Amino acid sequence: MNLQLGVLEEMILILLLMKQETYGVDIAQEYEKQLGQSISLPAIHVVLKRLESKGLVSSYMGEATAERGGRSKRMYKASSRGFQVAKSLQDNRTRMWGLVPKLNFSPL
Amino acid sequence: MRKQLSHPPRWAERLLQWACRPDYVDEVLGDLNEAYYWRMEEKGRRKAAFKFVFEALLSLRFTHLKPFYHFNFNTMMLGSYLKIAFRNLYKRKAYSVINILGLSVGVAASLMIFMYAWQVLTFDDFHTNEDRIFMLYKERITPNGIQPTYDTWVPMKSMIKGEYPQVVASTRRYGMTGKVKKDEAYIEEEVTFADPEFLQMFSFEVARGNSTNPFSSPNALVISNQYAEKYFGSQQAVGRELSVYYPGEDSTIRYEVTAVLKDWPDNSSLEPDMIVAFESLPFYEDVKNLWGGSFIDNYVMLDDPASQYALLDAFPAFVEKIWDKEIAGRTNFKLLPFNEYYNTFLGSQQDAKILVFIALGILLMAAINFMNLSTAHSVHRAKEIGLRKVLGAFSGQLRGQFLVEALVLSFFATLAGIGIVALCMPLINDFFDIEIAFSQIGPPVLSVGFVAAFILLLGLMSGSYPAFFLSKINILEVIRGVFKTKGGRQVRNGLVVVQFSLAVFMVTGALIVRNQLVYMQSAKMGFEKDAVVIINASRRDFTDREEASRRLKTFRDEVKAQSFVKSASLSYSIPSNWVAGFTFVRPEGWEGDPLRMGMSYVDANYLETMGIKLKNGRNFLPDSEGDQRGSVILNEAAAKAFGFDKAEGNVILIGENRLNVVGVVEDFHYESMREEIKPTLIFHRTAENPVHRYIVCKMEMADISNHLSVLEEQWGTLGATNSFTYNFLDDSMAELYTSEQRFLRLVGLFTIISILIAVLGLYGLTIFVIERKRREISIRKVIGAEMSNIVLLIVRDFSAWIAGGLMIGLPLAYIFLRDWLDLFHYRIDISWTVFLLTAGVITTLVLLTVSYQAIRAASANPVKYLKED
Repeated sequence: MNLQLGVLEEMILILLLMKQETYGVDIAQEYEKQLGQSISLPAIHVVLKRLESKGLVSSYMGEATAERGGRSKRMYKASSRGFQVAKSLQDNRTRMWGLVPKLNFSPL
Repeated sequence: MRKQLSHPPRWAERLLQWACRPDYVDEVLGDLNEAYYWRMEEKGRRKAAFKFVFEALLSLRFTHLKPFYHFNFNTMMLGSYLKIAFRNLYKRKAYSVINILGLSVGVAASLMIFMYAWQVLTFDDFHTNEDRIFMLYKERITPNGIQPTYDTWVPMKSMIKGEYPQVVASTRRYGMTGKVKKDEAYIEEEVTFADPEFLQMFSFEVARGNSTNPFSSPNALVISNQYAEKYFGSQQAVGRELSVYYPGEDSTIRYEVTAVLKDWPDNSSLEPDMIVAFESLPFYEDVKNLWGGSFIDNYVMLDDPASQYALLDAFPAFVEKIWDKEIAGRTNFKLLPFNEYYNTFLGSQQDAKILVFIALGILLMAAINFMNLSTAHSVHRAKEIGLRKVLGAFSGQLRGQFLVEALVLSFFATLAGIGIVALCMPLINDFFDIEIAFSQIGPPVLSVGFVAAFILLLGLMSGSYPAFFLSKINILEVIRGVFKTKGGRQVRNGLVVVQFSLAVFMVTGALIVRNQLVYMQSAKMGFEKDAVVIINASRRDFTDREEASRRLKTFRDEVKAQSFVKSASLSYSIPSNWVAGFTFVRPEGWEGDPLRMGMSYVDANYLETMGIKLKNGRNFLPDSEGDQRGSVILNEAAAKAFGFDKAEGNVILIGENRLNVVGVVEDFHYESMREEIKPTLIFHRTAENPVHRYIVCKMEMADISNHLSVLEEQWGTLGATNSFTYNFLDDSMAELYTSEQRFLRLVGLFTIISILIAVLGLYGLTIFVIERKRREISIRKVIGAEMSNIVLLIVRDFSAWIAGGLMIGLPLAYIFLRDWLDLFHYRIDISWTVFLLTAGVITTLVLLTVSYQAIRAASANPVKYLKED
């Protein structure tokens, strides 16, 4: 698995894996909660489209609610390929982190 | 729940819906909507709405957009709007023509004013260094205030160059009249003497020839493209020679053309058609170190516009260095920014700004009129609108319809306006003595963009009111036939009164300005101005001075001998160009300061030829040397200033020279009637004296062109550098009033435009009023009213507006024109007849406009309007 992902793509993929099944606004709220940073919805939408085209995420149309002005949600779910990619990214990172010497770094 | 109460901004939602891929719309808009409510709970409504719009716009990314060919621009409705618009315009041709005409006249007038103002406001802006160029001038500090004088000294350039590092370049400039020899003729031109830096500082670019150093030789000449064509035609000008005779210096210099300049824009203050090196000035050696006399312009270019302040601070010490402390106390140097040159010497950019406001006012009037006419015509459209509504048209679609119609009209009106400007441009340029051209406006792309924006703005401005007004019509009323247009009546009435006040003001103004002009041109001048021909004949017209006097005398004798010349005289001065100079003079035994008076030179025949009457005393004795040196004739004003009762026995002193007053002439207008007749001294110089510039002839006017050609033939044998030139004295006098003439033309033009706009406004209002009274008129007719009664009923309404217009317009005109007349020393009184005439003209116009409609309404069949109830 040597697929390159952007930082935002990776974050959202992990969020999807955490939540099992979710949609745009929920991702935005979770992102804020976890990272303490706000994110714009169009940015999430674009990233989701990109992840979907890479085959890491699948989606289907969900139910409509009144809050949404009577519009349906598109629910996203990470695929098993998405899980693999995320996992290998994390593994690589953990492995590399293990190679970092735990010594004193000069305070810059 | 609050959710139902508020809604995210709909326009952003609609935009997104329109542009977004349909399979993404639900997801994107749904998420945005949900986020809106969530954010509203958290941060408040306004922040949520702002975020919504922001994110909606951000969502318009390429990934989310529909493919272009899936966009629906709703062109079908636009096509329908256009079609209906054209049908409507065609159906009511008269109305369309009036509307387009009114609007296009407004557009043309304002466009022309804009172009003129643009030209004035961008004067000299083509110089890339404009903001860094300054003209040096001096200020004289006197007890009566500070007097600026703009001419400076020749050695100033070298002084200032070494003194200040901020001065990057500097140049001197002096204009001198020279006679350029072309073939065998001489043409009078202004030659600019300047330093080589002149071409580097100002953006006059070299088109052909030596562009790096055109002034490498002392007799180098740089000429404009126009002059290259004038003197050398299509041939190469560079390398050719031109010889220039300077009559003031009595010397001829041969120049070689080293460079030809590119054409520069018309709105340039400096017009250096012929530039030669400053050092080639014939008397340069005499003045190069002269700090006693100032007569040239000095310009400096600074490294930065802000450096001027440093220079200004340093100038007092500089003055002291050149002269001494005493002079430094009453003289200072100043810098005039070159972009102020136009305002200082040539005209006023402030006036141009006022003109822009006038243009906007005219445009607004025309647009409002257009609005009024459309609204007034709405009654004709009411049924159509009602039916459209019944069939399910949205009010947005109706608004679209009316806006498109307004846009179509404004499109045609603007095109017609531009057409009018294009057609009238040469006429207008000629008429007002200005130079405007489309080419000055700027690059074509910009102009087209500007015109498009203009059409859009005009259409929206004039179409918005009818659009909103008409789309709100109540269908039920229309269908039931009880539709009445209401609302905005006060505004419309007020507007018509304003328009009429303006028209009244303009008509009165034009009449008064005209009367004053007629008065000035027909008043008794104190001399005979008819049948007097002024021939230009001066010693300067000959290259050989000694020979000149002899030849001129021969010519004068020949002129005198002609049977058709009743009387001829030589003089330095003619009325309209009188004063030869000023001198300080006092009567013998006078204690106070001497008086400053203008003076002039004439020969003994002058008073008789000109028909100037002697009040007392005698005329000069012909050919009397004694009279020439020791006598003077005064005008009445001068005699009064000296306190002389009669001429004889009085003596005046100029310096230590004693002059006997031999006669006093009645006052005559030797200047414009703006000015009071000032005291003047008339000196005698015999006909042989070289000072004279003119031969003044009282002639038989019958067959005048033959007479003149006889004289021209004789002049031709003299070998002068000039061809035979002459003027009629009454023409020269009329020329004194060119600025008043131009003003009258301007006022006249605006009068016509304001009348046109007012009449159009009135026309719209008449239709409106009659439509409202339709039923009343019909019922009256059925009961048996006379037609005259009905016409009166309608016209009566308008008399109030005319009265209003007159009541505002006349006093305004009176106050304004009284101030204007105060500019003239000899002026008319504003008479009641002017006001009566104005009232008559305006009333006639109103009656003509209104009664046509009124008679038509009164003669209509009442059944037609009553049967619907």
